Amino acid sequence: MDKFLIFTIAGLSTAAIYAIAASGLVVTYTTSGIFNFAHGAFSMMAAFMYWQVHMGWGVPALPAFLLVVFVIGPAFGAMVERGIMRGIEGATDVVKIVVTISLMIALIGISMVIWKPDVARPVPAFFEGQKVTIFNTVVNYQRLMAMLIAIAVAIGLRLIFKKTRLGVAMRAVVDDRGLLQLNGGRPSRTSMMAWALGSGMAALSGVLIASEQTLSATTLTLLFINAYAVAVVGRLRSLPGAFLGAVILGLLESYAIGYIPQDAMLGPISLQSSKNAIPAVMLFVVIMLQPQDRLRAHGVSRRSSGSKPVAQRVALVGGAAFILVVAGLGSLMSLTDLNLVTTGFYLAIVTLSLVPLTGYAGQISLAQLTFTGIGAVAMATWGANGSLVGVALAVGVCAVVGGIVAFPALRLSGIYLALATAAFALFCSAMFFNQVDVMPGGNRQVPRLQIGPLSINSDFRQLVLLAVVFAGIGNLLVLLRRSAWGRRLTAMKDSPVACATLGLNLTSTKVGVFALSAAIAGAAGAISGRTFLADTLTLPGSLSVTMLAVVGGIGSVAGAFFGGMLLGAFPIGATIFAANAIGIFGFVAVSVKDILVFSPGMMGVSLGSDPDGAAPQIALGFRSVANSVPALVTTAVGATAIWALAKFDSIGNWSFFAAEMVFIFGVVPLLPLLFAPAQVHGRRIATAIWLTLGVLMAALIPWDTAITSTGLRVIVIFVFLFLVARTAIGIFGVNPLDEGGAAQVELVSPDMFGLDRPLTRADALDAERGLGLQDELLVLTASDSAGMLRGAGQQSSAGVTA
Amino acid sequence: MNLLELESLSVRFGGHLAVSDVSMRVEGGRVSGLIGPNGAGKTTTFNAICGVVTPSSGRVSLGGKDISKVGTHKRARLGIGRTFQRLEVFSSLTVRENIQVGLEIRKSWSRRSAALPQYLADGGDPKPEDEINLILERLDLGPLADQPVGALPTGHARLVELGRALAARPSILLLDEPASGLDDAETDIFGDLLITLAANGLGILLVEHDVALVMRVCSYLSVLDFGQVIASGTPEDVRSNEAVLSAYLGTAPAPDTAEYAGIDLADFPPEAGS
Repeated sequence: MDKFLIFTIAGLSTAAIYAIAASGLVVTYTTSGIFNFAHGAFSMMAAFMYWQVHMGWGVPALPAFLLVVFVIGPAFGAMVERGIMRGIEGATDVVKIVVTISLMIALIGISMVIWKPDVARPVPAFFEGQKVTIFNTVVNYQRLMAMLIAIAVAIGLRLIFKKTRLGVAMRAVVDDRGLLQLNGGRPSRTSMMAWALGSGMAALSGVLIASEQTLSATTLTLLFINAYAVAVVGRLRSLPGAFLGAVILGLLESYAIGYIPQDAMLGPISLQSSKNAIPAVMLFVVIMLQPQDRLRAHGVSRRSSGSKPVAQRVALVGGAAFILVVAGLGSLMSLTDLNLVTTGFYLAIVTLSLVPLTGYAGQISLAQLTFTGIGAVAMATWGANGSLVGVALAVGVCAVVGGIVAFPALRLSGIYLALATAAFALFCSAMFFNQVDVMPGGNRQVPRLQIGPLSINSDFRQLVLLAVVFAGIGNLLVLLRRSAWGRRLTAMKDSPVACATLGLNLTSTKVGVFALSAAIAGAAGAISGRTFLADTLTLPGSLSVTMLAVVGGIGSVAGAFFGGMLLGAFPIGATIFAANAIGIFGFVAVSVKDILVFSPGMMGVSLGSDPDGAAPQIALGFRSVANSVPALVTTAVGATAIWALAKFDSIGNWSFFAAEMVFIFGVVPLLPLLFAPAQVHGRRIATAIWLTLGVLMAALIPWDTAITSTGLRVIVIFVFLFLVARTAIGIFGVNPLDEGGAAQVELVSPDMFGLDRPLTRADALDAERGLGLQDELLVLTASDSAGMLRGAGQQSSAGVTA
Repeated sequence: MNLLELESLSVRFGGHLAVSDVSMRVEGGRVSGLIGPNGAGKTTTFNAICGVVTPSSGRVSLGGKDISKVGTHKRARLGIGRTFQRLEVFSSLTVRENIQVGLEIRKSWSRRSAALPQYLADGGDPKPEDEINLILERLDLGPLADQPVGALPTGHARLVELGRALAARPSILLLDEPASGLDDAETDIFGDLLITLAANGLGILLVEHDVALVMRVCSYLSVLDFGQVIASGTPEDVRSNEAVLSAYLGTAPAPDTAEYAGIDLADFPPEAGS
């Protein structure tokens, strides 16, 4: 009985912390419609901040507590709302999820940079050492305090939301921001207060847990992800539900520690880390118990989403070119470099797996690496001699498992799928990949393929195989996109309710896409031919995959590849740049490696302003090249010539790199303009001479020997490229990127034709003043105004009939 | 299959009773109208018929079979089609592709290669491209076929929604303000289209604010106000119904009468001898 009481009270005190954290999450979600994946990272930062203030700077406990919880925490939340969240409020689920995930990763990275992980940072408990005895059990003050605070938070929140003006405004602002404005509310201030409140509660939970856990950025953040499971019990909207969920989770975890012995087995399955899997299981169960989400008919925005599907011909040519390029580069690399690249190349196929799911169907998965791992294990188990049967089985298993995992969540809105896949990733980390049978010694080697008589026995062959598979799957996806199935996915993304009224079973369609995506990720694992470590098949790994895929531009195969490259490039870059540091004002020496650690997060955060990702932007610059045959020919000839020089050792590898960079990013975008007959005015000959000179210089400068530090070398090459390109544009007189910009026309409702130039913000304000409306009431949000003003201005195009 | 019945349907949102004890019949072969002021519960009734919203009491039945518990996509497969008050077009796709998707979705769940319903053409089972062209022609969308729908004016986009719904070959079609955004000439043509579709077997339930169109096209009307049916019957009955006049149609004099101009005829007694 005593044991039961001890564990009950321990469970309740953990529950208190979860409840506080979950409440903050519910507050920000219900008032902004954004599920803040970074909420756990806020708590983590608060914990570190508390350590810094209390232990690092010696401020006494109580003032430190008050400072972090009531000043720093809320201020940080308000800042995040203003700087990031406001911009993504009307965006799609995918953007919202990716931006908040990126914020989480960025914060983890920043925390690791400021507070280096190799130092232990113990935090003493509040009222250290003082205990009280309840029901014959000894409870320390801190735990009691946590429970009392949780109760106070519950009461306080109820009062705020039901009784105060601010609370009512918070509930109104998510329903209809504009309407709140017209009724005298100030939505911008209200949103900021809501985020300050949510962030304050995150800070509170972080500070409370600081003394009970070792301060480690990743572990703490993952711990607070448990709060997400708790919030789901309240359907993300109900505070009492969240509190109930917290109690359930806290108690379950506590009893698991107390009553399940370390070496317990369930048949062949070891239950050693089952405690870590409990939140995931609870999340799954809760999601399964939710009734199907209502379809909502709220009208579609007139802006068309995403890009048009690429012609199959282009995809085939692109695929072939891709294989050639990869083979070409591979033949140049040293064996160590080749090994490095080959080991990471499978990631490109993993990001490709997100194209149908996220790019075409607009759903998000945070478990791609988990499926990759399952595929790898399946191949290692059943494809021992590299047989293709193993690959087939791996793909099949992943598809089935994917369908089962996704089905309950796909009946609900997109955020639940993200949570379900995150839970799945956590579950597998805790209960699958750490099983001795699955990954003995924490790793598993995937055998390389044996295709009939052809044996993949070298890194080079493996690299080419991966390139072939990438091109093959890429072409398959393009084929699917252009098919009826692809149209249906686009339709489903545009208006799910319309599809339902046409007889489409939305859930089974979405499950099908998810299964396909899981299958591709599994295939990536099955053919990767490398050794996987259980430590890398974790949730943060999958988060990075999803994040970089979307940042790269998930709507297209090219974008997925770009994302995959970024994903692979960062760890490679980190290795290359390990020794370099950049001094900032002489105070902080931030190593380049550290910047690489949190810059993916920063990139993701900037997605808010460009949801289509980076690839389409870059693609714009190159679009005109595809249409100009002389330009294409010159590109192919020039790139090959430079490669040949490198292959036959006329120039060193770094010169090759520099020359190709200058050629591809400096010369190629200008080629269409150089060849265009008299359409564009410019000094062609002069520009051509300058560009040729630029490429020759890049090829002939001995980069290897002139600059010793690798990091500096790369930076100088890019600066050189920039100078060559910029000067060329200057000489020519026209900027090719402007052409690209004009080509991107916003689809506009001709209901508004009659305006012959784009409206500026000043015009809008003038109109408002003319109508006698006060300035303050009419601060448009960034997304509203940008959309309206840009849309309202374009000249109506010729296709409109009367 | 061609009879939709609502029996004492009520829909409640929290504390608000949006639709209260509504009963009506929609039969194949005629156009039934559902009119009333804004907020009366017309769209909510549509949502309840389609399964987008769950009624708190009452039932919906199609062809005698109770479908109140059936999911939205299954009701669509039983023959209920609809358009939306706020556009739900596939704005990333062209006009042709919108209709094509409707057709392809139908083909994905319709095993039997059914003949075209009579309201679309006289029998035969055309190839998909022909069926799409047929629909485009009927709705006069031919010239716009390859435009992205996002670039069309609202009126034309509504027609695309109608075309898409027709591609699914419904037996009962719910139209939510399909003529809003059409000018007078276009509305006339549209009214003729509805009459022809109904004459050839389609059952239409029309929600519209264009009273002239409604009166011309509908053979039976139900009037909704604050979620309740305040009157129902033929257009003539409804037009002169007191309750309807005060709730919706209005008692203002017609524009070409003396009353409208504010002139009291008593001030102008007839000349003696004329």
